[in-house]
Amino acid sequence: MDATTAPHHIPPEMPQYGETYHVFELMQNMLEQLLIHQPKDPIPFMIKHLQQDNDNVPKIVILGPPASGKTTIAMWLCKHLSTNLLTMENLIAREFSSLAAVARDHYQNTKKLSSTLLVSLIQERLKEEDCVRRGWILDGIPETREQALMIQTLGITPRHVIVLSAPDTVLIERNLGKRIDPQTREIYHTTFDWPSESEIQNRLIVPEDISEMETARKLLEYHRNIIRILPAYPKILKVINADQPCVDVFYQALTYVQTSHRSNAPFTPRVLLCGPVGSGKSLQAALLAQKYGLVNVHCGQLLKEAVADESKLGKLIKPYFQKGMSVPDSIIMKVLSHRLSQQDSIQKGWVLHSFPRDLDQAHMLNSLGFQPNRVFFLNVPLDSVIERLTLRRIDPVTGERYHLMYKPPPTVEIQARLLQNPKDAEEQVKLKMELFYRSCSELEGLYAHAIALNADQDPYTVFEHIESGIVNPLPKKVP
Amino acid sequence: MRAGGSRELEARNYLEKHRIMELLNYLTSTLLFFRPEKPREYLISILERLRIAKVTGVAFPFFMDHSNIVSMFEMMDTSHKGTISFVQYREGLKTLGLLDEDEVLQDDGHVITLEKFRSEVNKRTEKIWSAF
Repeated sequence: MDATTAPHHIPPEMPQYGETYHVFELMQNMLEQLLIHQPKDPIPFMIKHLQQDNDNVPKIVILGPPASGKTTIAMWLCKHLSTNLLTMENLIAREFSSLAAVARDHYQNTKKLSSTLLVSLIQERLKEEDCVRRGWILDGIPETREQALMIQTLGITPRHVIVLSAPDTVLIERNLGKRIDPQTREIYHTTFDWPSESEIQNRLIVPEDISEMETARKLLEYHRNIIRILPAYPKILKVINADQPCVDVFYQALTYVQTSHRSNAPFTPRVLLCGPVGSGKSLQAALLAQKYGLVNVHCGQLLKEAVADESKLGKLIKPYFQKGMSVPDSIIMKVLSHRLSQQDSIQKGWVLHSFPRDLDQAHMLNSLGFQPNRVFFLNVPLDSVIERLTLRRIDPVTGERYHLMYKPPPTVEIQARLLQNPKDAEEQVKLKMELFYRSCSELEGLYAHAIALNADQDPYTVFEHIESGIVNPLPKKVP
Repeated sequence: MRAGGSRELEARNYLEKHRIMELLNYLTSTLLFFRPEKPREYLISILERLRIAKVTGVAFPFFMDHSNIVSMFEMMDTSHKGTISFVQYREGLKTLGLLDEDEVLQDDGHVITLEKFRSEVNKRTEKIWSAF
């Protein structure tokens, strides 16, 4: 079925299901594994893969120059995400592996490991049950481009790569203060990270080769290698500045590894914009509709259109308009569902605003099957709203709209004849804001994945913020 | 993998030989059609059935069974002649995913009856399934 045949009526439940359960990513991961391992019997392999259910475990590589705090960050991340840490030392120190024994001898003689040996050690370790189930963090490996390519050929791909960077002088100085606790192998520092318990203080030892010459030599080698490793991980790399307090570096790293990358899954945006009157919803909706081809659904406008068309529903709505009362929910739902179930809104997606007004309407929207997949709350303080709305004027002769602060009329003559819409009077605006704030907290409770924005800025900044909210996958909540 | 020209070829051959893309298409379609609460368990159960069917030679769990084929034929045969044209037949096979893009069908001048359509659909589906 391609786009050239007659428009297909795909029931909206299907894309909704696909998004909720991330079907696309599931299939993509399975296909990746199939292609990497190419098993002779694909079906048992796929069954095993699905049972493992380890698509989202952490697979992280942390690289950085000596004294940048790699090991500390790696250990903290490990504890926080309860995953396994792999460093050169603990790979060699493993007990039940013949490869590790060979590596130990080698290391004692030459103080370095050949790349093939290291990579085969990694491969062996990653096959173990706990790495498969809970993920892994590689600290300081790969050291060279050769190692990076070898790891890749074996099919081991990290999902996030963090590179710490800091100026060389800072690193050399920092390294002089490095101390190690021989029991826990944790790294402390004389100035930045001094342990509080005195018994740890007493047993700290000075590690060998931290003199300035040594550090400078290691830094040279590091710079030579890192520049060729970076291109191996194009889209998953993030460089974090290590010249800041450890805690800050840790938080940046943690937020990064918990974000998922943009996937190629087909995605029709169904956006809901919530916010008080005057927050710029209609403007943002118009911008979104123009740029992404979404259908702009303004609830109030829909009702007015129905009345103007004099359709059956329009005739029902008309008396409410004439009396100035708000239209009952059931009629609104009928008009809305009629619009949203049309072919173009299902295919292209929609932007809904000025609805729902309260929790009941929101529940009704969900029950009709039109759940939005991105919800935005545009927050604006009361003063800005008053400023934006009460200074609006319209010129009765030309029909041109002005704003006394943002778009003042050019001549005094025009200014003299400007009129204000009675709906924009200050008391009216305040009333509407009250109404909104009453239902706001309930709506926020319902839409747990909503994104709140500061709408008190110029429209294009707000628009960019909304765009990034739509285009990137929804952030996972930190547990 | 820049220098992986041969590996890429290997991978493509693997996909062809085991008909992986057809299998994944089928799995995704059933998943979206039935929309189970637990997608992984559901996929595992389908793969298990497939594996057992392959080993014991029992009939495969087809996506389109006999009644579906009949209704599809009747949808195409709007004038109830009992036959469909060659173009319709080819499009029908394409929609079911049973026709490769490069494959060219022979138009032997005869119109296609329900029997011929059904036997062709079955034959192709079986060919795909037997590759798993």
